[in-house]
Amino acid sequence: MIPIRYNLRSLAVRKTTTVATALGIALVVFVLAAALMLSAGIKKTLGVSGRDDNAIVLRKGSDNELSSTLDVSAVNVILGAPGVKKDEKGVPLGVGEVIVVGAMEKIGASGFTNVQIRGVTENAMKFRPEVHVVAGQAPKPGSDEVMVGQRIRGRFKGTDLGESFDLRKNRPVKVVGVFEAGGSSFESEVWVDVDTLRASYSRGASTSSVRVRLDSPAAFDAFKMSIESDKQYGYLAMRETEYFEKQSSGTSTFVSALGTLISVFFSIGAMIGAMITMYAAVANRQREIGTLRALGFSRGSILTSFLLESIALAMIGGVVGVIASLGMGAVKFSMMNFASWSEIVFSFDPTPRIILTALLFAAGMGVLGGFFPAVRAARISPVTAMRGG
Amino acid sequence: MNLASLAARNVLRNKFRAVLTVLGVAVAILTFLLLRTIVFAWTSGAEYASKDRVVTRHKITFVQPLPLRYINDVRAAPHIKVATYSNWFGGKDEKHDHEFFATLAIDPTTYFQVYDDVAVQKDQLDTFLHDPQAAIVGDVLAKKMGWKIGDKIILTSGIYPKIGDWDLHIVGIYEAKSKVVDRSTLLFRWDYLNDNLPQNRKDTIGWVVSRVDEPSQSASIGVALDKIFDEKETQTLSQDEHSFNASFLAMFSAILTAVDIISIVILVIMMLVLGNTIAMGVRERTNEYGVMKALGFSGSHIAMFIAVESMLIAALGGALGIALAYPFVQEGMGRWIEENMGSYFPYFRIDPKATVAAMFLALGLGGVAAAIPAYRASKLKVVDALRRVA
Repeated sequence: MIPIRYNLRSLAVRKTTTVATALGIALVVFVLAAALMLSAGIKKTLGVSGRDDNAIVLRKGSDNELSSTLDVSAVNVILGAPGVKKDEKGVPLGVGEVIVVGAMEKIGASGFTNVQIRGVTENAMKFRPEVHVVAGQAPKPGSDEVMVGQRIRGRFKGTDLGESFDLRKNRPVKVVGVFEAGGSSFESEVWVDVDTLRASYSRGASTSSVRVRLDSPAAFDAFKMSIESDKQYGYLAMRETEYFEKQSSGTSTFVSALGTLISVFFSIGAMIGAMITMYAAVANRQREIGTLRALGFSRGSILTSFLLESIALAMIGGVVGVIASLGMGAVKFSMMNFASWSEIVFSFDPTPRIILTALLFAAGMGVLGGFFPAVRAARISPVTAMRGG
Repeated sequence: MNLASLAARNVLRNKFRAVLTVLGVAVAILTFLLLRTIVFAWTSGAEYASKDRVVTRHKITFVQPLPLRYINDVRAAPHIKVATYSNWFGGKDEKHDHEFFATLAIDPTTYFQVYDDVAVQKDQLDTFLHDPQAAIVGDVLAKKMGWKIGDKIILTSGIYPKIGDWDLHIVGIYEAKSKVVDRSTLLFRWDYLNDNLPQNRKDTIGWVVSRVDEPSQSASIGVALDKIFDEKETQTLSQDEHSFNASFLAMFSAILTAVDIISIVILVIMMLVLGNTIAMGVRERTNEYGVMKALGFSGSHIAMFIAVESMLIAALGGALGIALAYPFVQEGMGRWIEENMGSYFPYFRIDPKATVAAMFLALGLGGVAAAIPAYRASKLKVVDALRRVA
């Protein structure tokens, strides 16, 4: 076995070539890791929005809260269904909410962006204990006060603490609080009193969705059966986790598919770069290789050695690329979610799995780029190599 | 033999390396064109949008409808040639629960006058006008769902729940006459929708689309329309289709910026691969440059002909990349995307301008990639060059 130090030193000798090739690979790894991190960030943001023991009820035939319309009378029917948890006073835990998207003026950009506006009831925060006011205070129920998620605070005209914006003409609402919600997509929403929202948009007695807390995750099946047996209205019950998974699948699949496709193309380019470098390394070191063979190293160990050198070269690039991609953790990426037609702010989420994938991808580029040059190196005959070269 | 042909011969000296480098450049240019095509497909909706169509919708939220009588106010306004209205129905075919397609309830008499780039045969249009439950679908959607004229379909909608079903008859298939028409939409009659709604939801329309007589004035015509409704119960926002699409695109601006950055990254990778090859060649030929200098060639001569060599490889790679992009990006991927993701990308083709840009970028970056090796070679001293062993 030829010591790996031989390969590392060879790489160090050809600084320019090594740096150029490793940098190419680093860029590929960076793009791949960043795309996967964004896709994971989308899943995480929408994933933590749901609870296992929550169920959401929509109108059958709708994909999301935005396109669902239920009569207000449905709220009590659903809250009375079996499996719904009751609080200490025996009141069922659940909320009926109205969702609309509002066109808001983004600060520092032209045009309007859709923001999700949620009409909430008095017990919205009791229902979602992960929601906390981090600045200002919670709006008074039944008033024209609103609170905004911390991810959109100040990003749109009139959405910073103390400012106000119009829900409709001459119907301004004032931002009195900013809330966090454990990194979930609620942090990209505006929360307003449900009756204020209904009145502003003459929604009458309608609701978009009803969420309930179940006695346990296992109570879901019985709840669903009871709700969906009402054929007259046609309800659709889903676990909240499943609902948000569906909401994220389009966007996150799009991002990871686009990212992977681009990375594969990029990697072909970078692999060709690695191949050129390794072929040159083999060609320039014919005499060395001949000497190694004459010293008794087998063809197999020459092959392994050059393959390792190529992998080492790729790993330098891989590590640089991964470190650079971790820097994306500080970047906030705002994008429209295909499912809700409104903008959600995502972050890049580095998971150990993604880092490992990216490094393995780099190593793979090293193996594929180095294989043929290594085969050529192994085939060199010691006699000709030492004579010529 | 002149310098250019000497440079060309140098390219072929290490044939294998030259082939690999050309391939590397070709892959980079192919990827670059793919990325530009994605951006182009995304933005062409705004670029090719008609400027003589003005969309009027709810000022704050597009999910809230407008009163039906607004259509008469629009039609009575100056500069409006013809106006139509539609509702987003949000329909789903129960048999294909996971397929998404746009469903619009439209005014049968005026819709095709406003959207004259949606082509329907005359006899099909006549049936549409006579059968209240008639529907016309886009050719791409019909193919995807296997629908034929005469088929009966059942839709459900979360926005417009109905006791019983929404039964529709497919009476026509439309084709696109422009690049912005989504060929995956289902159109059915607004009166069928309205007649089956409960009293409190009747007589509302999603948005109004008008054609104006002076496209250059569409912005001010829009402002004038909004003014009519400013004092009424629902305020409106009117934009010409071009700005409407542009503001929709703005919500994806982060993705578009990311793709822009990535297309620069691929060019950098290409430069690294090319620069590496050139640097290697130059290092191996140090001796020869010494000889050339001794013969009287100046430093700039040598730099020039290293640059020409690099640009030659880049040009070959660029040409190959463009040649590959047409069958691959346009015929392969493009066709698949137009048929399967037509609602997002009705038109996924290579922008000819992008191919020209790609070629110039390849040539220019070929020159840049050669800069460092060329500079070094031009500064070589004859003695050092001749003494040095590669």
